[in-house]
Amino acid sequence: MFFMIQERFIKIRSYIITFLCIITLNFFIPRLMPGDPFTFLSAEEGQIHTTFSYEDIQRYKSYYGLEQSLGRQYINYINNLFRGNLGYSIAYKEEVVTIIKNRMVWTLSLVVAAIFFSSLIGVILGSLSAYKRNTFLDKILYFDLIVLSEIPAFLIALLLLFFFSAHLKLFPLSGGISHFTAFTSFGEKAYDVLHHGTLPLLALILTRTGTFYLLTRNSMIHILEKDYMRTARGKGLKKGRILFLHGLKNAIPPVVTRIFLSLGSILGGAVLVENVFRYPGVGSLMREAVFLRDYPLIQGIFLIMTLLVIVMNYIAEILYKKMDPRVS
Amino acid sequence: MKKIIQRILEFSLVGKIALIVIGFFIVLAIFSSQLSHYPYDLPSGAALQPPSREHWMGTDDLGIDIWAQLCYGARVSIMVGFTTAFLSVAGGGLVGVCAGYYGGKIDGWMMRLTDLMMIIPQLPMMIVLGAFFGPSLKNIIFVLTLFSWTAPARIVRSKVLSIKEEKYILVAKSYGAGFFYMIQKHFLPQTFSLMMVSFIQLISRAIVAEAGLSFLGLGDPTSKSWGLMLNHGMAFRGIYFTDFWKWWILFPLVCILTMVLAVSFVGKEIERKEVSSYGKTTTKG
Repeated sequence: MFFMIQERFIKIRSYIITFLCIITLNFFIPRLMPGDPFTFLSAEEGQIHTTFSYEDIQRYKSYYGLEQSLGRQYINYINNLFRGNLGYSIAYKEEVVTIIKNRMVWTLSLVVAAIFFSSLIGVILGSLSAYKRNTFLDKILYFDLIVLSEIPAFLIALLLLFFFSAHLKLFPLSGGISHFTAFTSFGEKAYDVLHHGTLPLLALILTRTGTFYLLTRNSMIHILEKDYMRTARGKGLKKGRILFLHGLKNAIPPVVTRIFLSLGSILGGAVLVENVFRYPGVGSLMREAVFLRDYPLIQGIFLIMTLLVIVMNYIAEILYKKMDPRVS
Repeated sequence: MKKIIQRILEFSLVGKIALIVIGFFIVLAIFSSQLSHYPYDLPSGAALQPPSREHWMGTDDLGIDIWAQLCYGARVSIMVGFTTAFLSVAGGGLVGVCAGYYGGKIDGWMMRLTDLMMIIPQLPMMIVLGAFFGPSLKNIIFVLTLFSWTAPARIVRSKVLSIKEEKYILVAKSYGAGFFYMIQKHFLPQTFSLMMVSFIQLISRAIVAEAGLSFLGLGDPTSKSWGLMLNHGMAFRGIYFTDFWKWWILFPLVCILTMVLAVSFVGKEIERKEVSSYGKTTTKG
């Protein structure tokens, strides 16, 4: 028992070290960027025509603590971080945490829905394909899903956008919700949000299903060759019972871990897809922040994304141990 | 050379087609200035013309010929893909050999570093780094390499670990063979095919990543890549409501798509061959 606790502690420690490394990296990168927020804000860029005097710049620099030594800034940064304070956005003049919180809802619902549907479809098709191995259906599914999983999500998103929205005009062109409209009921609003979210979701699902399909198929083929599966067939059990109760139960643990591990790459895909549809999530926010050289905002987004991914990695590890008692 | 041709003939039909597609794009990249009559960076006709005899893929909003841009874009994509893959396989391979050969602390640190790199969500990190290094081709290649060396390093390390204790390696060592001699005579030949698979996979990943970064506007503004064409097209205000997307967006999009698919199919072909021949040699011995 003591041994297990110790082992778990070591695992947690390695994750914490990873996170600290990322915080440090995260702190230094924006500070080494060429240009600074004041020269950029002073320049003519779109509607922003603000000019700062030297005194103003000094005042703001001391307000944001930018004139202190790097070491001091670093200590302040970590201090604030552990109080849940990611600072104020320079460009949006709002607390970074609130901005990200507002935008994160969009991204997370997109990503979670995409993971849910793609893993569901992938598992079903994968077991079907494994069961009907080497038939025409299997070959067709295999080829199609491999092709789809090789295509980057944002290209599919672009194709969907231009075909379904611009050409057929079935879906809205951009955004996450219709602006300047008063919704009479909750149902109407939900429909509007779903209507906007369908294409981004579809793009992510199409590209992600392949990985889950392949994993389930391989795992299932391995399981179907086991002796107990032959016994189950010999007992005359029903097909569905064999496939889902005996087969899938043993084939699923690697798929479940992959679901949690895939968060990092699906977030990357979502960032690009959001930019295709101008979806109001964190991905679009990140691009805006980079172009405005908004240090705290870039840092905040990147940090929260990384934190999410690390937590998911940890959950994946625990779940795998729980689901597969052979792994000790 | 004969061996390579033999190898290619053993490809499946899809693999052969994929290889032809890659060859086509490479020709496009090398002879880009000869293949198009118009410059890729200067207007050569009226703006936003549909494909015609004169501009047979149309023009964009500045009147620049799309075909010329596509040819030049092939050069950028292939250069980024191959350079990134080469640098990461060479660098990662060296790191992997060092880690596997010396073991101990070096190995521990390297594994920890690759673990760290694997956890970081790559695209957001690339966006941050891309913004930090500024948009130029060299920086894009650098950033992509920074994230690509871990996969070949891991593969090479595990292979080196498995052959390190073989008798002939120990014999060579006892005769006083140095590190670089060992690499050249034993490790490189044995890990070469694994590195090749990794190389091809990295090419397609690098092309996708470059397209994605340029699409976000973080690409090199002076060199027209396919991703940058998409970026310009999407920034055009009336793009959704007009027919311009049918040539302005669709052609570069199809180019990226076919290139990526072709490269990954060739990769799968080589990988499959590798796995099957690996199985044969182990069962034989």
